[in-house]
Parts: sequence; C-alpha cells; structure tokens
Amino acid sequence: MTILFATSTSFWVDQFVNGLTTGSLYALIALGYTMVYGVLQMINFAHGEVFMLGSFAGYGAMAAMGGSELDGAMIAVSILVALLAAMTASAATSVALERFAYRPLRNAPRLAPLISAIGASIFLQYLVLDRTSSEAKFYPNVFPDGSFGVEPFEIEYIQAFLIGSSLLMMVFLYLIIQKTKMGRAIRAVAESPSNASLMGVDVNRTIVNVFILGAAMAGVAGVLHGLFFQTIRGSMGFLPGIKAFTAAVLGGIGSVPGAVAGGFFLGMTETVGRELLNTIPGVDLPNQWRDVIAFSLLVLVLLFRPTGIFGEKVAKRA
Amino acid sequence: MPETTFRGWMGDARARWAASPSWAKTVALFALLAVVPFIPMFDEPWLRVFFLVGLYVMLGLGLNVVVGFAGLLDLGYVAFFAVGAYTLAILSSASSPLDVYLNFWLVLPLGMVAGACAGLLLGLPVLPLRGDYLAIVTLGFGEIVRILLVNMDNITAGAQGISAISTPDVVLRDIDDPTSWYYFIVIAAAIVAFVTTRLRDSRVGRAWEAIREDEDVAAGMGINTVKYKLMAFSMGAAIGAVGGVLYASQYSFVNPSAFTLQVSVNVLALVIIGGMGSTTGIVFGSFILVGLPDILQFRQTGDLLGNFEFIRSAVNGVIDGLDALLPWGIGGLPPSDTWGEELADKRFIIYGALLVAIMVLRPAGLFPSKRRELEFENPADADAPLRAGAV
Repeated sequence: MTILFATSTSFWVDQFVNGLTTGSLYALIALGYTMVYGVLQMINFAHGEVFMLGSFAGYGAMAAMGGSELDGAMIAVSILVALLAAMTASAATSVALERFAYRPLRNAPRLAPLISAIGASIFLQYLVLDRTSSEAKFYPNVFPDGSFGVEPFEIEYIQAFLIGSSLLMMVFLYLIIQKTKMGRAIRAVAESPSNASLMGVDVNRTIVNVFILGAAMAGVAGVLHGLFFQTIRGSMGFLPGIKAFTAAVLGGIGSVPGAVAGGFFLGMTETVGRELLNTIPGVDLPNQWRDVIAFSLLVLVLLFRPTGIFGEKVAKRA
Repeated sequence: MPETTFRGWMGDARARWAASPSWAKTVALFALLAVVPFIPMFDEPWLRVFFLVGLYVMLGLGLNVVVGFAGLLDLGYVAFFAVGAYTLAILSSASSPLDVYLNFWLVLPLGMVAGACAGLLLGLPVLPLRGDYLAIVTLGFGEIVRILLVNMDNITAGAQGISAISTPDVVLRDIDDPTSWYYFIVIAAAIVAFVTTRLRDSRVGRAWEAIREDEDVAAGMGINTVKYKLMAFSMGAAIGAVGGVLYASQYSFVNPSAFTLQVSVNVLALVIIGGMGSTTGIVFGSFILVGLPDILQFRQTGDLLGNFEFIRSAVNGVIDGLDALLPWGIGGLPPSDTWGEELADKRFIIYGALLVAIMVLRPAGLFPSKRRELEFENPADADAPLRAGAV
C-alpha cells in the first residue's frame, strides 16, 4: 500500500479530476431534476433523454459547421453554436414534455405522471435509436489535446473546460433564481403554488420556465459529455439520468445547491471512492462497480439522513 | 331494457354475467382457457406468446401486491424475477458453476424463499421512504442485482449465462412442449390470482389498504406498519421469484441481459394502464404490452394485413400526387403484409407513446377498480391543485 501511494500522486490527482468531471456532469443534469421536483413534486423521468437530445443537437450543429475539418477560432465558435443548439433543442423537448405528458396529469394520482414520464422517456430514446439505426455518433475530435499545471498536479484542457463551464452555468442559474423576477416566481411556486398564484404569479408560465432552465443545463451537459467522451448514442441518457437523480436526492431534492453538492459528491465517490476501496488488500472492483457504489451510497444516505445532505424535510411527503 | 340494439344486448349480457355466481364465472373462464390450445389457429408460436402473457400476468399480480395494495412504488421488481430465475438455473443446471442438480419442484419453494428474502433485504432499508424516493432506491436495487449477476461469474457464469435448466414433471409427463407450458402458466397464474385476491380481502389486505391511504393514521390505529410493509415486499417478491423460476425453466436459458429495467417498467406499466388493483386490467395490460408486439410479427398477421393492400395503394396514390407537387419526395408505405413487422420494429416508440396517451386520457387506467374510480371523482386534495394525491 505504501508503494501504491508513493508512486502515484499523479494517479490520485487524475482520479480526483475525473471525479470532478463526472461530478459536474451529474450536477448539471441533477439541477433539472431538483427544480422540477421543487415545483411539481414529480420525477421528470425523461430528463435523461432531454440530456441525450441536447447531445445530439450539439453533435448535429458541429457536424454541420464542418466537423473535424474545423480549426483555429472556428473550433471555439462551433462549440458555442453547439451549446446554443443543444440548449434550444433540450428546452424545446422539455417544454413539449411538460405540455403534453405532464400538464394534463397535474391533478392525477402520483403514479400517473411517473408512468407518463417513463413512457415519454422510452418514446424519445427509441425514436433516436430508430433514427440513428442504433449506431453511435462521434463528436469531432477538435478540442486541443494536452494539459497544464505543475507535475503531478496536472489537468487536461478538456477537463478544465468541462468543469469550468459547468461551474459557470451553475453560477448563472443561481443568479437567475436568486436575483431575477423569474427566479423569485420560481421560488414562490416551489413554496406554494396556490399562494404564488394569489400573489399574481403565472404558475403555468413559471413551471414552463423551470422546465426550460433545467433543460438548458442538461443540454450543456450533453455537449460537454459529447466533447469529453466523444461517443454518443440514443441510449446514453438512461444511466446519467438515474445517477443525476440519485445526486439530486443525495443533496436533498428540491434544493439547488444540494443538487450541485450531490453531483460532485457522487462523482467523487464513484471514482476516488472506488479506487480508495481498491487499495484495501484483496479488494479489486472493476469499473462497472461504480454503479453499485452509487446506488449503495444512495441507500446509505437515505437511511441515515433521509432528507439528503442539504434537504428540507420532504422525504416524508407521501 | 331494449333488446333491439346491439348495445342493449351487450348490456343485458353484461348484467347477466355480473349477476351470475362467482364459481360459475370461474368455471366459464377456465373452460374458455382450456380449449384455447385446441383451436387450430393457435399453433406453437401463439402458445409461446400466451405463456409469456401469462407469466407477465403473474408478475403483474405480484407487483400489484406491493404497488396496488400497499401503495409502495417499486421500480426494481425485475430483481426478484432474476433471483427466482437464477436460483433455478444455479441449482438445477449442469452448465452452472455450482455442482448441484436439484429437481424443479425442490427448487420452486427455494426460489420463493430466496425471493422473499430478497424482498426483505430491499424492504428493510427503504422502510422510512415514501413515494419517489422509494421508486429511485428500488430502481437502484434492480440495477445492482443485474450488475452483480454480470460480475459474480463464479456463481452466475457472468454474461455468458446458464443453459440446460431443468423443467418440471407433472405426474405423467414432462412439461416441455408449448401446450403443457400454456396449461402450466394458466394454472400458476390462477393460483396467484386466487392467493392475492384472498389476501386483499383479508385482515392483512385491509392493513395494507390503510397504510396506502395514510401511513400515519394507520400506525395510529394500531397497525404495525413495519410488519405489514415488509410483508407486502416479501409477498410481492416471492411471486416475482416464482415467475422467474418458471421463466428460466421454460426458456431453459438465463443471462443477465434478460433482467433489465425494461422488465420492471413493463410490469409496472401493465399494472397501471390496466387499472391498478384489477385482475382484468392486468390481463388486458399484459396482452397489449407483452403479447401484441410478438403477435404483430406472426405470419398470420402478415397474411391478414395482406388483405389491406388497397389501403396501401390508396395512400401511395395520394403520396405520389404530393410528390409531384413537392420538391422533395415522401417515401410510400411498404407492402401491407409487412406492416405488422414494421410496427413490431418500432414497438418501443409506440409503447412509449401509448403509455403517455393512456395516462393522459385515462389516468386511473383502462379498467380501474370501483374504489379507485370513486377516488377520482372526489379528489381529496382539491385545494392544492399542483400537489398530486396519494400513490
């Protein structure tokens, strides 16, 4: 074990950065779950698919602008366009979902919107799988390679970009929620829809805004995911979606800072936590076990702190 | 009642059916089910589909104990199905890593016990959770079980799976042809239906109902909520495990890819779109969601659809007309005898859209139980329009 630690500071730094990378993707997606849950008390099960569609829209935009032929400043422009396209596509999907699959069921018993959301998720996923003949697409490999920092504390450009832009988006969202009129309406509706409506807040409009904001975050996550992992496919939304929901619950569902904290916490546990477990003699957990770790963590947190890390007391809400 | 209209006649028949004693209904139903294999149209592929439908009816009835009776939302039901299937596979097959070969009938109770234990294992940590939290934890549980099946290859043979699983022998004959399996699943599903209805109408069932409606009040009335919730989990899990045992035995092969979230979603969806708590609904839901996609691929369906070639020529005629006007072409319809296959190809897209449509149009399901229908007409929570009612 001593050998392991002595030779591998850079290994642990890498794991730490990987944890931050997956963590920021989880956090971005988790924001959508937590905000929707905050106002509607429902799991937007199709949110993983919103993320997936964002990724595909970003891919489409980059491919249309020249794909791997891009160079110089055009790379930056194409990434920006991809982000905008992804946010637009995700937001449009999300608004359609809200309008056609969720809004008619607001007064229905809780299971109905959940099943509707699962149905929408299956529909979107298989629609994309059908359109792409179940084949993977590949983001153009245009992001500059290399890393910076002082050995052994190095970070790859792409990871720095991913983490940085995620944080930027989170700050942006936080400002919208805390400082704007729209944000105040969202907080009011989350508190009590009927009271907010009495105060002149357009509840339907606010709910749509919540879906748009959450979807925009997921769209950004989709493009970042594509730039980093390059391979995207129609079924890519499922696991990140579930994990992000797990992250939202870990942080305390309904809480925006909680979703971010939960996302990073989950990302760290999956990567650094798994490697830490592997340093125990006789333990060798391959990569697939990170899902087991994630879900076990969820059960543990809910056992000892059912409201999540930052949550208010909502777990008991039937 | 006017006997002149078809509708009136139907209503009359319905009333007579409703008024007949329950033993008569049961006999009539079983007589109907018993003759199915003798109908020439229903050859072996059909019987295999019926087996699958029956299996999902069983699973639906089992999940209904957890979701419908006790109101505990379980998205990881596939875990118990997998536990049952793998119990039989590991303990009976020569190709399993374990050197044990037990008879089917010996493993069946073992599978039930294993399933019930898995149910307790899941139930214990999630006792304090409700609603959506429960959904996501159970979903995680299902995924964990699947990942364990892949990775614990010294017991489960990993991704390659286990084949040559033993089949049951009933007095005179081995159950290995589709007709025997058909009868076998009908009887098994009937037993499960009987047990679950009796449970529902028992003291236990009333305790579950009370917990479903309001857990705190139920506890206040002296119901041991921990005991009854665990009972619901393990009962539902045991039924799921029996389903798994039958599945493994009939297919004679298991591998982890058969135990995905899709199974849990399928079972939950058929329970809910059928109308929660109603056996008729579960049978109907099972037919639509499980049976129909396979039936669409049958040759007979193709032959039948072949008669609708005129629709194709009509539609394609319109499309040709449009093509002349538009700068880009629209593909025409394929030959009508391939429509079934085309639909089956796109079944998941249709399935997803169907779930949304059914929920939006009939949020209580297609055949809601009387009780739930009443709940819908008098929503208890009318003051809080956005907050959904109890599960």
